[in-house]
Amino acid sequence: MTTLNAQQNQDTERFDEITVFNHSRKLRKENKHDEALSTLRNAMRRHWLSAEGIEKAGRQIIKHFKTHQVKTQNVLVLGQCTTNWLCNCLTASAYAGGISVMATEGQYDNVMQELMAAASGDVKYDAVVLLPWNTRLLAEGDRDAKQRIDDEITFWQQAWNFVTGQLNTRLIQIGYDYKSPGYQGHHLGGQPGGHINLVRQVNEALRANLPEMSFFVDIDQISGMLGRENFYDARRYYWTKQPFSEVGTARLSEHVFAAYRTMVNGPKKVLVLDLDNTVWGGVVGETGPLGIGIGDSPDGEAHRALQRYAKSLQNKGILLAVCSKNNDADAREPFEKNPDMILKLEDFAAFEASWDPKAVAIQRIAQTLRLGLDSFVFLDDNPVEREHVRQMLPDVEVVEVGEDASEYVHALEHGLWFESMNVTKADAQRVEQYRAEAQRREVQSSFTSMDDYLESLKMSADARLINEEDFARVIQLLGKTNQFNLTTRRHSPQVVQQMLADSNNMGITLRVADRFGDHGLVAVLLAVLKDHPLGTPGSTGKAFEIDTWLMSCRVIGRTVEEFCYNTLLNAAKNRNADYVIGTYIPTAKNVLVKDLYDRLGFTPINTAEDGTVTYELNVHEAEERKTFLAKVDADA
Amino acid sequence: MSDTLSKVTEVFCDVFDDDEIELEPETTAEDVDAWDSLMHVTLMLNLEKAFGIRFASSEVAGLKNIGELVALIDSKTAVAS
Repeated sequence: MTTLNAQQNQDTERFDEITVFNHSRKLRKENKHDEALSTLRNAMRRHWLSAEGIEKAGRQIIKHFKTHQVKTQNVLVLGQCTTNWLCNCLTASAYAGGISVMATEGQYDNVMQELMAAASGDVKYDAVVLLPWNTRLLAEGDRDAKQRIDDEITFWQQAWNFVTGQLNTRLIQIGYDYKSPGYQGHHLGGQPGGHINLVRQVNEALRANLPEMSFFVDIDQISGMLGRENFYDARRYYWTKQPFSEVGTARLSEHVFAAYRTMVNGPKKVLVLDLDNTVWGGVVGETGPLGIGIGDSPDGEAHRALQRYAKSLQNKGILLAVCSKNNDADAREPFEKNPDMILKLEDFAAFEASWDPKAVAIQRIAQTLRLGLDSFVFLDDNPVEREHVRQMLPDVEVVEVGEDASEYVHALEHGLWFESMNVTKADAQRVEQYRAEAQRREVQSSFTSMDDYLESLKMSADARLINEEDFARVIQLLGKTNQFNLTTRRHSPQVVQQMLADSNNMGITLRVADRFGDHGLVAVLLAVLKDHPLGTPGSTGKAFEIDTWLMSCRVIGRTVEEFCYNTLLNAAKNRNADYVIGTYIPTAKNVLVKDLYDRLGFTPINTAEDGTVTYELNVHEAEERKTFLAKVDADA
Repeated sequence: MSDTLSKVTEVFCDVFDDDEIELEPETTAEDVDAWDSLMHVTLMLNLEKAFGIRFASSEVAGLKNIGELVALIDSKTAVAS
């Protein structure tokens, strides 16, 4: 606590780009490579680097990955224009966002050949990014608009088949764009047959034809936001067959990274808001609940706009939390008494108003919500608080904002943290579930024994074979669940479909409800029936191997684990298996379930070099375990 | 060494992230590791920024050596000042 308090006084000094790179180079010379890279990351997170600086940082990060053979995630970028700078910027953006991604490019305008080469190469790509350029689309000739669009879509469909088939990986498709309306001018260019019109139509066609679960990066919107005159640099195309300016390249890379992060980790889950001069204008402790800036003033309107934006995020399934240095009663009053407030107390999944350092308060919020800090975004008008949180909780994304409240919404949008693939009903229900969880915790404190408490929850569980309706959600969970995930296998839809095609294998979703509310889909189990190669020496027989076991952290410690165990055991018995095999593959995030199989009475039989532990459970000796969940319906 | 040459050297060291680079008027792309056609563009862009000038498309490709580059920059900064 003392050290945190000491941090309150740290300066918020800003360093220029040259100082940053000199410092980083000096550290590297002293063989402090990790610190050298942190310097770059810190500078990028604080927006200290120009677009040229970001590109340069990316080059240094890639060099470091290569010389030190760092294990990274791999992204392949294939374009109809030069992609060298985009790869550097993408690697830098990802590194600033906390993920080590090495972006590599293929040869310019050689998409299909490069995909074939990748399919036969050694590198396993976590995603392929496809970047069209409009040369062929807008080329001279007498093809009509429909023909031109068909030609482009046919070309990309071949590439998509390769990416989702042979390469079996994630697909990020960038759209088409135009640098200027060309000879037709603004008016005719937008009409049918015009270049702008053609670009817009081909983008619609791309969207409509993209394989499911892929991400479309709408470059037409992105260049529009920055302004095409800044996004493009005519010289660059003639010099290097790369049409983007430095700023344009950096901006595009941020969007591609956001797409990647969304596909791999999902959107950020929590927006933590400061109150005074953030959610409203002024300091409530001084002005009282009715004197805050939230009404009909320019400043008040800006704060209302932020509240409206936060409320929309909340409707979309993002959790809101308050982290404010205030007396708790003062902080709550405006929500209760000021009619101009858009946000209400019940919109918040957690409310921390105290005089504790904000890093401590945010950690408490994380514990309350049982979510990792890397799913948090923090908005505060005070640069000292921002710096404090950045230093103490480097996993939290801190929004860089100026003093003017009218910038807040834009700053939040600019971070792209809440981009999502599609809003599922489950996302929207999550808020309701977390609030019920908070009530549950209050009930918990009034019970003397844990068993009494669990009994009182009147929980029920509904285990179903994975059906078409749940399939997208299952793939989403496979892609983003980090903590309670025994093997963290990010299966593609195709792999899961293949697995489930054999009825000896099993794919189960589990829904849990209790008297406070419906938790929705909280667990996914995938298991395959195999001949047992590992068992006790001399033993033969069949094994039911747990390929994937993931669960929502919201229901941990409520005997859902035991319910899953029973489900697996019974399914194994029904299949005449002799053993259930479990695997724990350690990652940076799943230490939570390190000894789950030990706790459930499995026997460890092998530990691999990378820490992967294989367990077995003898079906003939094992018994069902006690659970407080009533079975609703089990077709497993 | 002219002021321009020493500033150009600084930009090279910065772009290639290498303190050891020494440039002479006779130095060509052959003499510097990693100075390929793509890095050449990155260099030009960084030089533009460092000197507050802008190269024309016709100027960037034809340079034979560092001496010509320095002369080109000098001609642009002379006009500018």
